[in-house]
Amino acid sequence: MPRYELALILKAMQRPETSAALRRTVESLMQRGAVVRDLENLGERLLPYAITKHNQKHSRGAYFLIDFYSATNILSGLLDHLHRDVDVVRPTVLKKDDQVSSSNCCGPQQ
Amino acid sequence: MFQVIGGRGVQVTRLLAPGRAVLVEAVRGRKSRTDTVAKSKQGRIKVPPPVDPTEMVVLKERYAEYEMITRALRLEFKEEVLRKKYEEETGSMAEEHRALMVFNDQENLRMLQQRVVRIQMEKEEAENKQVEAAIERELQQQEFIKEKEREILKLQEDAKNFITLENLDQRIEEALDSPKNYNFAVDKEGRVVKQTMLQ
Repeated sequence: MPRYELALILKAMQRPETSAALRRTVESLMQRGAVVRDLENLGERLLPYAITKHNQKHSRGAYFLIDFYSATNILSGLLDHLHRDVDVVRPTVLKKDDQVSSSNCCGPQQ
Repeated sequence: MFQVIGGRGVQVTRLLAPGRAVLVEAVRGRKSRTDTVAKSKQGRIKVPPPVDPTEMVVLKERYAEYEMITRALRLEFKEEVLRKKYEEETGSMAEEHRALMVFNDQENLRMLQQRVVRIQMEKEEAENKQVEAAIERELQQQEFIKEKEREILKLQEDAKNFITLENLDQRIEEALDSPKNYNFAVDKEGRVVKQTMLQ
């Protein structure tokens, strides 16, 4: 099952640059020994608040979701690398929980 | 003068000490502590009477045996006297005693049978439970193995869709072409609206 999820916010760029940034990110993941499962695009959206990163103020960002399986020791190195990347506004790695069985949901029956 | 000898010394002293009923304590007599000792008694050291060890041991054993016998006889006679006194008061005890003993034996027998039956039942129960538990465990294990196999197959299927260096560009293009929207709205009636405006 997917172990981690990288919620990546990239700078609002043109398509070739965005795809280059994504390629860079996924390659850095693979180089650290991760197995990338899926890549999702959540669209280019207005950020909830203005974020200043690498001496630039961003109001819009491209949201991407990368599921990957990896070892636990690479994460700090990976985050370090992503923080240094100029095109990345905010990288967040989260653990992915197993799917909860949605059959019997507890709560008041109606 | 009367020293305390503890431990193994006690057994020896018991063997070698003259068996007396009453300990003779020292008594002051006519003269007090401060009175001068008589001229004929100056330098006198009191020694206890000499005792032959072997003779003492033999005598002690014989006396012990003798006393045991006499005590037993005395108690027997006392008991007989008491029983005679009791019997002349409340009739003969023998039949009552016999009846009670018989009753006791019957009760014991009955309880023994009940106990045997109960133990048998319990043993069978325990065996059944063990067998059932073993079966249950087997089933659980089988279930577990099947579950794991299912997971492995699922993962193998999913693995075909993973991103590799060859797919990378193609997947990036696909992703950039199709933005996903996980937002939705629900109202109190439970109507779900998945189509929202993506800014």
